Amino acid sequence: MQRIPIEMAKAGMILAKDVTDEAGRVLCGPETELTTELIEKFKAMGVKFVSVKGHPIDFPWERPYEEEIKLLEARFAKVADDPRLISLKKIIADYLKEKNA
Amino acid sequence: MNETKREIKKRLRNLQSLPTLPAIVGKLTQLIGDERATAHQVAALIEKDQVLTGKVLKMVNSAFYGFPRRISTVSNAIVLLGFNVIRTLVLTASIFESMQATDLSLWEHSLGTAAAAGLLADKLELPNPEEVTTAGLLHDLGKVVLRTEFPKLYKEVATKVKEEKTYFRAAEQEILGLDHGEIGRILANQWNLPERLVEPIAYHHEVEKARKFKKEAAIVHFADIMTRAMGYGSGGDPWVPALNDKAWKLLRLKEKDLQEIIPIFDERLLELRFFTLEMQNELKK
Repeated sequence: MQRIPIEMAKAGMILAKDVTDEAGRVLCGPETELTTELIEKFKAMGVKFVSVKGHPIDFPWERPYEEEIKLLEARFAKVADDPRLISLKKIIADYLKEKNA
Repeated sequence: MNETKREIKKRLRNLQSLPTLPAIVGKLTQLIGDERATAHQVAALIEKDQVLTGKVLKMVNSAFYGFPRRISTVSNAIVLLGFNVIRTLVLTASIFESMQATDLSLWEHSLGTAAAAGLLADKLELPNPEEVTTAGLLHDLGKVVLRTEFPKLYKEVATKVKEEKTYFRAAEQEILGLDHGEIGRILANQWNLPERLVEPIAYHHEVEKARKFKKEAAIVHFADIMTRAMGYGSGGDPWVPALNDKAWKLLRLKEKDLQEIIPIFDERLLELRFFTLEMQNELKK
């Protein structure tokens, strides 16, 4: 799953999550295939981001999963003896793993 | 007191008229100080300055406050976020603008910390989550000022971080004799920011020193940790700082809480990346 700005959404992409308008009302559910008309409608209703299936766009700040984990370890290097923070690190690592799957 | 520390404090006291402070701030402070002032009057004053209005609305609509509906008028913003937040945003709008130009990674770190602080404040059901968000946005004010007003000292600190692989704050304490929390506190007091913003700015590394707004300080402390943990932006060094015991006890965060917050935080960070890009494109215009 990837979250992308509505401007980058293209017909044929499949929604991975609900799309909601500014008031929080659900406009469209997961598994819907985007069409040009649907994307225009979302834009008109103030939708800024959508979550789509797969990983259609490579953003410049994204790193391969293995590298992300290495960087995560490096950031925690000075607090490696604090179990509370190691637990936070694990939660982030699990999340990254799930996001990558 | 060491010589550098004395010198910094002296300079900070004379910084009243930061070149970047908009003239409107004085009037605004006066008006907000007047108990009879209404949101409408305050909004009318801000709206006289179109550019400033644009900046304030842009900030209140950005991902770190996380309002689902678009806020399109200053009066609305005041009703939703309160006088304190709006005044602070007006006060700091130009500072953050210069920050984007000079230190994008610190700007990102501040936005990330603001977003995390807002999420934590919501989770812990604090009465004014938007103020805690604003405190997160401003928590490293001392670093901004250090960079703009004391560039030589800033460079020394940065070099020490790089060469000795030490925390930015440790290098500050060694070279300056005080840290960015203290610098931020002096400045925030000088600008008459409310205590609930001053304490988190001053004590986000020493939560036990906070007197009235301990929980707010604890939230900003942990929001700083979360932002560094996710690797978003940079607060001057790349490491997650030590966890403050007092903060941890106050927050009583459970594993489940963090498991819920992290994915939402990551979504906010993505939105902030585009917000930052947008703001930068506007600066170039």
